[in-house]
Amino acid sequence: MSLATVDLRKAFGGVVALDGATVTFREGRINALIGPNGSGKTTYFNCVTGMIRADSGTVTYGGTDITRKAPHAIARAGVGRTFQLCRVFPRMTALDNVLAAVRPGGVSGGLRGARHRAEVDRARGWLTRLGIEHLIDIEARNMSWGQQKLLELAGVLMGEPATVLLDEPAGGVNPALLDRIGTLVRDLNAEGRTFVIVEHNMDLVMSISDHIVVFDRGRPIAEGPPSLIRTDERVLGAYLGS
Amino acid sequence: MLSVSRAVGLVVLAAAVLSFPGLAPNPYILSAGIVVLNYAVLATSWNFVGGFTGYISLGHGALAGLGGYGTALLVTKAGLPSFVALAVAALAVAALAVPIGLAALRVRGASFVIVSIALVLILLLVFQSWSSVTGGSRGLVVPRPFPDLLRPEHHRVFYYLFAGLLALALLAWWVIDRSRFGLGLKAIREDEDKAEALGTPTFTYKLIVFVVSAGFTALAGGLYALWFGDLDPVFQFSILTGSYLVLMALLGGVRNLFGPLAGALIVGTALEYFKGQFGNTPLHLVATGVLLGLVVMFMPDGVLPAITGLWQRLRKSPQSSIREVSAADLQTERQRAEVAK
Repeated sequence: MSLATVDLRKAFGGVVALDGATVTFREGRINALIGPNGSGKTTYFNCVTGMIRADSGTVTYGGTDITRKAPHAIARAGVGRTFQLCRVFPRMTALDNVLAAVRPGGVSGGLRGARHRAEVDRARGWLTRLGIEHLIDIEARNMSWGQQKLLELAGVLMGEPATVLLDEPAGGVNPALLDRIGTLVRDLNAEGRTFVIVEHNMDLVMSISDHIVVFDRGRPIAEGPPSLIRTDERVLGAYLGS
Repeated sequence: MLSVSRAVGLVVLAAAVLSFPGLAPNPYILSAGIVVLNYAVLATSWNFVGGFTGYISLGHGALAGLGGYGTALLVTKAGLPSFVALAVAALAVAALAVPIGLAALRVRGASFVIVSIALVLILLLVFQSWSSVTGGSRGLVVPRPFPDLLRPEHHRVFYYLFAGLLALALLAWWVIDRSRFGLGLKAIREDEDKAEALGTPTFTYKLIVFVVSAGFTALAGGLYALWFGDLDPVFQFSILTGSYLVLMALLGGVRNLFGPLAGALIVGTALEYFKGQFGNTPLHLVATGVLLGLVVMFMPDGVLPAITGLWQRLRKSPQSSIREVSAADLQTERQRAEVAK
């Protein structure tokens, strides 16, 4: 399921955040979305996931138009996301944070106990995989920043998204944890999950991505594999301001 | 999976509630007990929205008022039997809660509070002005469901009816609390956008729980109308009712099944007492306001969690990471460790 946008536009008052963004993120890849601050990356994520409505343009996922769908419908279609300033449910335990991603169908499903054995096991599995299983009964507000970021990711993965959008996964994270996140993304990608990663840490971007899209002033100015992007004149210009 | 201590607590609570009419020295005290139970049902009903989703409604008095007037009018104008009228009115208010919720639940935080206040004020005006149907400020007399009963017996019967309704509301809250639906609602309270991004249809969830809350609130309002027998828009559509419910739920603890009940017992009793002491002056409002301020400042999570927290601290839980150990204890522990090797 490829994620594609055609001529996406969004302005906040007089500030144009997205100015005709036409991009395709192909299935099965680790895609990166980079660009200077204010180039529209997070706005792009918000439009794609339905959190804000684009002024014009279309978003398709696997060929289906999802431009006007509600965020929960897009999530249920298989697009999961994390937030730039990591968002977890502060007064819930790690277990409940992850279980909150379970999507019951119908009245009987909704009224079933939240601590259903199979789901608790699955939640524990994700917490274990992210290395925070020991925090399972700890409330999120009592965790460190890095632990909260891992918890957020565990919650998103609990929803079994085919495509995962990560907004600055390396932000404020120590080098050891950064390695773990990088390895995890590669493993999850090998299992068939598509990634789109907004990130400023170029070492991480260059080492894990298959395909990089560079944004400047709300539109893509270059795209290609890391080797090409590293030397692209326009990209250097956008970043260095020349 | 009730622990023994919880089961014992539940039995004691039920016994205390059920034995009150036998212990009440006179009908006045019994009627005060009914008022407090009515508050307990209302506060528990309010807590479906306030406790789970964190949306603070000051408008629940209006939903109770609609339940009361609905029941009264179905009895007087349509000639339905009292308790059939009560059920129909509650269903009608629940149905009406759909369009109200569709409008009100679009806004969050302070805006939602203001919308809920507007609901009360609009309905107050409507019910005061539309006097050909509602009786306006002359009031509306509701025929008693049990005309043969003497006053003390009448109180006793209604006391148990309110107790039954309270049990029903608590049961429903408990079922939702432990369900996946409940977890979704709590996620909304914590971070609504995040919950939505995880795939929870937040608006639908909020609307469903608002309708459930409105239904229970209307049942309480209707039962009150049948008991009290006289309705006046000024009291039925009062912001004060909603404010009391907020105070009770916050005081008791909104995350706790029995929080609103505990709050209703404290605030309801205090209100009846203040009214007795200060009579017709607005001083009981001042006292209530001070109480609300103190709760928000010193016990933001409510009385029940505060007591539980204190209890756990006093019990010196063995799970706590830092504990005091005497030199002798340390010695035995070391020896035990040596032996284990």
